[in-house]
Amino acid sequence: MSTPANLPSTPDNARSLEVAKLLAQVALGDRAAFTALYEKTSAHLLGVILRITRNRETSEDILQEVYVSIWRSASGFDARLSQPTTWLTSIARNRAIDSLRRRQTQPMVVSTQVQGLDDGEEHDMLQDFLSGDAGPLEQLERAADARALRGCLQRLSGEQQQAMALAFFQGQSYSEVAEHLSQPLGTVKSWVRRGLSSLKGCLERTAPGTA
Amino acid sequence: MDYGRRELADRLAAEYVLGTLRGPARRRFMALLSAHPALRTAVASWQQRLLPMAEAVKPVAPRPIVLQRLQAKLFADTPKPVPQGWWQRLALWQGLSGLALVGVVGLAVLQATPRPDAPPIVVVLSANDAAGAGVVPASFVASLSGDGSTLVLKPVKVTSPDAARAFELWAVPPSGAPRSLGLVSANSGATIRRAGLLRDTAAFAVSLEPQGGSPTGAPTGPIVSLGKVQL
Repeated sequence: MSTPANLPSTPDNARSLEVAKLLAQVALGDRAAFTALYEKTSAHLLGVILRITRNRETSEDILQEVYVSIWRSASGFDARLSQPTTWLTSIARNRAIDSLRRRQTQPMVVSTQVQGLDDGEEHDMLQDFLSGDAGPLEQLERAADARALRGCLQRLSGEQQQAMALAFFQGQSYSEVAEHLSQPLGTVKSWVRRGLSSLKGCLERTAPGTA
Repeated sequence: MDYGRRELADRLAAEYVLGTLRGPARRRFMALLSAHPALRTAVASWQQRLLPMAEAVKPVAPRPIVLQRLQAKLFADTPKPVPQGWWQRLALWQGLSGLALVGVVGLAVLQATPRPDAPPIVVVLSANDAAGAGVVPASFVASLSGDGSTLVLKPVKVTSPDAARAFELWAVPPSGAPRSLGLVSANSGATIRRAGLLRDTAAFAVSLEPQGGSPTGAPTGPIVSLGKVQL
C-alpha cells in the first residue's frame, strides 16, 4: 500500500480537527453530527459550487447531492490521507464540474443575476489569494501550504495565472478559457500545463512549513 | 493510453483537480481511479497543492430549505410527530386500565426475577466497502453475554494493518460520540469485560487508527467494519 510521504498526518488547527471529528461521527451514522457538519461547511462548499455553475438553484441542488454523498461515504474519509476540508471541497468541485457536462448540452446562459459574479472576478479572486490580504487566508487549514502555494503562484506569468484561475474557480474548459482570453486553444493549453508543472516544481522545492 | 506512465498520470491528475480534464477523458480517468493507487496518490497530492486556493472563495449560505430537503431525503424514517390517537380517548383508557394494571404487575414480577439465562447476542461486523482506497478489508463477529458485560470479538476475514496502524473497537450510540472499547488484534481479536456494553449502543464499529489508538478519543481513521446491534 503506497502512502505519499508528503501528505498530512494530523489536521493543523482546531477547525480542521473539529471537522475531522464530525466526519468520524457522521461515518458512524450520527445525524446530529451530520447537521453540525453541514452548518459548519455548507456555506464554503456552496460558494465553491456557485462560482462554477453560476446558478443559485442548480448550485443548491448540487450541494444537496454533495451532502448525500458525504453522508454515504464519510466512512471512507481517511484523516491521514487528506485534510477534511480538502476532502469535502474536492467532492463539491467534482460534482459541480460534472454538472457542467449537462450544462453544455443546453444553450449557454451568461448569468449576470448572481450577485458578485462579474466577469474578471476570477482573476481578482486569485489576486486576493496572492496578496494575502484576504481574510479567509488566515483561517486556511494549512496556512503553511497556502503560503507556499501563494509564493509559487506569484512566480507564474500573468497569462498562466489568469488561465489557471479561470479553470479552477469558474470550472472553464480549455476551449472556454481560450474563448474568454481570445487566444488559440493550443496556447492556452500550454500556459496551463506549463503553469501546473512549474507550480509543482516550485512547491517541491519549498517544503511546507518553511515558508 | 498508457496510464502506467508516471508523467502522463501526473499531468492527468493535475488537470483533473484543476478541472480542465473534461468529457470522456474525465470519465475514463475517474473510472481508472478506483483501480490505480498511484493515480489516487497523484490526485491527493494535486488536491493538497491546489485546493488551498478554494478557501479564498467567499462563502454563500444556502437557504434553510436545502438542509430540510436533505434531512427529509436521508432521514425519511425520522419519527414524525405522533398524531392524537385513540389512546387519548378517556373511555378507552378506563376500560384498559384494569388490563394495564395486570401488565404492570407482570412486569414487576419479571424484573424481580434474575435473568442469568438472557440469551447471548451475536453482532456481525461486516467489511465496510465504502471505506475504499487504501483500507484493509476486515470483518469481525462480536459475541456478547446477554447482560452486556462481556464482549468477545473474533476476526473473521482480516488483513493485518501495516505496522504504523491498529484496529480500534467502538460502541456507537444512536447519536452522540462513540465510546472506545480498546484496541483489537487482527489475529486474535479482543475480549472486553465491562458493565453496560449494550447500554445505549446501536452498533459496534472497528476503525483504523494510528498505533496506540485514536489520539483524539474519537475515531480518526476510516471505519473498516461495522455491525448494527439487533436485540
